[in-house]
Amino acid sequence: MKSVMLFFSLQLLLSGAFAQVQLSGKVTDQKKNALCGANVYFKNSYEGATADSTGKFKFKTNLKGLNVLTVSFIGYITVFQELNLDSLKSKDLNIILQESESQINEVVINAGAFEASDEKKAVILRMFDVATTPSAQGDIFGALGSLPGVQKVGEDGRVFVRGGEGYETKSFIDGMQVNTPFLSKMPDMPTRGRFSPLLFSGTLFSTGAYSAEFGQALSSIVDMKTDGIENEEKSSISIMTVGVMGSTTKCWKRASLSVSGDYVSSALSNLINKQQVDWTKSPSGIDGTVMYRQKTGKTGLYKFFGTMNSNSSGLNYFNTQADINQNILLNSGSFYLNNSWNTMVGEKWMMKSGMVWNYDRQKFNVDPTRIVTTKNMVQCKLDFHRPINEETELKLGGDWVNYTYKQQILMGGDYQLPFTNNELSGFAEVEYKLSKKFATRLGTRFEYSTLLKESTLVPRFSMAYKTGNQSQVSLACGQFYQNPEDDYLKFAPQLSPEKANHAVMTWQYQTDLKTFRVETYLKKYSNLVKYTMPLATNPLDYSNSGSGHAEGIDFFWRDKETFKLTDYWISYSWINSQRDYRDYPEAATPTYVSAHNLSLVYKRFFEKVRTYAAVTYSFASNRPYHDPNLSGFMNAKTPSYNDISLSLTYLMELFGKQSVLHLMVNNLAAFDNVYGYNFSNTPDSSGHYESTPIKSPYVRQVILLVSIML
Amino acid sequence: MKKLTIILILVSLFSKGFANEAYEKAMSQSIEKLFQAKSIPEYVEVANQFERISNIEKTEWLPLYYASFAYIMISFQETENVKKDQNLDQAQKYLDQALTIDLNESELYMLQGFLYPSRIAIDPMNRGITLMPEMNKALNKALELNPDNPRVYYLRATMTFHMPEAYGGGAAKALPLYQIAQEKFGVFKPKTALSPNWGKEINETELKNTLELVKQ
Repeated sequence: MKSVMLFFSLQLLLSGAFAQVQLSGKVTDQKKNALCGANVYFKNSYEGATADSTGKFKFKTNLKGLNVLTVSFIGYITVFQELNLDSLKSKDLNIILQESESQINEVVINAGAFEASDEKKAVILRMFDVATTPSAQGDIFGALGSLPGVQKVGEDGRVFVRGGEGYETKSFIDGMQVNTPFLSKMPDMPTRGRFSPLLFSGTLFSTGAYSAEFGQALSSIVDMKTDGIENEEKSSISIMTVGVMGSTTKCWKRASLSVSGDYVSSALSNLINKQQVDWTKSPSGIDGTVMYRQKTGKTGLYKFFGTMNSNSSGLNYFNTQADINQNILLNSGSFYLNNSWNTMVGEKWMMKSGMVWNYDRQKFNVDPTRIVTTKNMVQCKLDFHRPINEETELKLGGDWVNYTYKQQILMGGDYQLPFTNNELSGFAEVEYKLSKKFATRLGTRFEYSTLLKESTLVPRFSMAYKTGNQSQVSLACGQFYQNPEDDYLKFAPQLSPEKANHAVMTWQYQTDLKTFRVETYLKKYSNLVKYTMPLATNPLDYSNSGSGHAEGIDFFWRDKETFKLTDYWISYSWINSQRDYRDYPEAATPTYVSAHNLSLVYKRFFEKVRTYAAVTYSFASNRPYHDPNLSGFMNAKTPSYNDISLSLTYLMELFGKQSVLHLMVNNLAAFDNVYGYNFSNTPDSSGHYESTPIKSPYVRQVILLVSIML
Repeated sequence: MKKLTIILILVSLFSKGFANEAYEKAMSQSIEKLFQAKSIPEYVEVANQFERISNIEKTEWLPLYYASFAYIMISFQETENVKKDQNLDQAQKYLDQALTIDLNESELYMLQGFLYPSRIAIDPMNRGITLMPEMNKALNKALELNPDNPRVYYLRATMTFHMPEAYGGGAAKALPLYQIAQEKFGVFKPKTALSPNWGKEINETELKNTLELVKQ
């Protein structure tokens, strides 16, 4: 027995030495290119080889019997091949590897969408870009202006997309509605977003044909995403020529808390920068924001985002229409509370729930008239996502919005204009990936309004196909409804929702550091609100008989690679759009549409002087306006719009702390831009209608900021 | 029967020892090759060898550590950004796998800190903001687990050297850090013959250069 055992073990030990198998071969890709560096080996031994520059490999093995040969290479799908090594002396193999689709190479449905994110790899903009684009003036919505499809409308400040009005762009935070994303606005003055871009880690900006998850927006959506749990405690304080700002973050193991606040006043800035308007009270305001994040269970995350602000300003305004000087005082206050909780339910269902309360109150004093407007919105939303299988993903959701609008007008009497609407909606969407190259998304959305007593059901569709490693073509279309603006609903609650149809086609080439994108679109509007005269109080003066269309092409090119430490992008849009709505006597191009919009952004870091410089040039061709002194409708055009803005960011040490000195100059070349004209309602004695140009409140604006990290 | 069991146990013990010896031999040969490698193909070849070892030694983090290290070195030489990222993805993959084996190994967090600068270099303006804190976090964790890890001090010194003076960087600020690193390297004893033990020479060279720069 002993001797038998010994014999066996000896043979086991020695057998390898006697029967080595010689393996050799070549590793190539599907186009027969050698894959130098491919790893060829047997899973259960150290033995193996690396393919040389011609793709060839060679090694000897002592293994016996059935074994799995593995061939792997970065960027390719690993191949396994079973080999019986018994009775083999040598073997020559030809191994062909298939390229694997990396994250950036996989098809992504993107028609109409621009995503700014710090998390994903394949995005066009990052939040840092938003914060450092000079023409944006530190405003998220301003930064969107450097993207194609957005019109320059200097006297408004909201986001006008592809022939759509400002109100047609809806804002969201973490998928939940923001009813009043902008600060209250003085007549003919641009407004800006309430929220600092520093609060968000990403923004999804869609210029059309968006997913069924979003509704009540005719043209566009902006979905801002707040950060997850912070993992670094930090504090900073900033002193600006327009105020002071401070923030601090505290972290725990499973939670984080950030608090920030600011006081802004343009009193000093209005002294430095020549004003073209007569302020009786410089715009000022206070803001406070609290963000709390808490992990729940294994997969859950609770987020609270709360912000409040209070603003005031006063203006001596010449009302051309009525031919009188008016002293306008504006006081406004608002708060926005957003709670969301996302967690896995079971193995596959991802649940997203949220509740928002948004309150806004503004008080207009135009002696002797007083207008107080309050808007109160509560939204509850519940979404479920789940993968059905490898290729298919399902999204379902519903939300309820309760909205109460109240306007009190004290003008020789007390007039009340209130209404309440409950909006119920639900959506379902399926995304199906036929292959790594081809994806489709099909969705539908249902909405019912208790005020309008009308329900709508719309389809949404999009698809994308990869035409190459870095390029893809996308198509999207859909129907969109939005309730008429508050200013019409308060008089005429019998109106129906306005409607738009979108069709978008995109071709995009994208590498990590370069993006080229062309997008062409068609938009058809119907059910737009028409009225016999502005501010008509009789509900019967309003109807949904308006219509319109827009078509155009957008180009975008961004390159972070060609020039060292340099990043630049170019956006160009061409649009053709007409509408017959409001009190238009016929279809015409609206005043906010300019056929050509161009934006150049150039950023560079100068290492030696530790300065980050950014320059933007914006151009918009002339805009139409109606001149009652001429015959016809929309019969005149403004001069074209030009702007050069600059920002310099200097990194330094102050009191031993990392600090930043930031200089921002808007309209550096002091272009005298005219956005349009206001005409008098009544002609003077010679029959001429007097007019005043609508201009920016400042000629050139310089803002200085020092920020210290504590 | 009893005898047979004893023989079987002996054989298995013997072969276990045998396997250990094979592992150590393969590792030490590969580590030597790794630190002699100069070109990308040489690094790839040795990384492949480490991957093969790691496939069998499922409880050892060292082969994965060195495979990851090799791919970080490759990313330094790679000129194309897309490929640089691909190599760093690969390095991260090995490192993540190593961390599943040992969550409390200072060297792994140090390597994580060593990986980030290469990522940042691809797109410093955008990536710096998010990845710098991540890098600091990794290095802090590495120090928490082993306050005497000399490579962490070396990396801190190098980062300081390359940072703008305004942000507390530059040669003068880096000098004392290089000196501390040198002290730490002087007394450092690797846990095993195979454990990470690199960085002393480069630290000395950089210390010398920094000294000269400061003198000027």
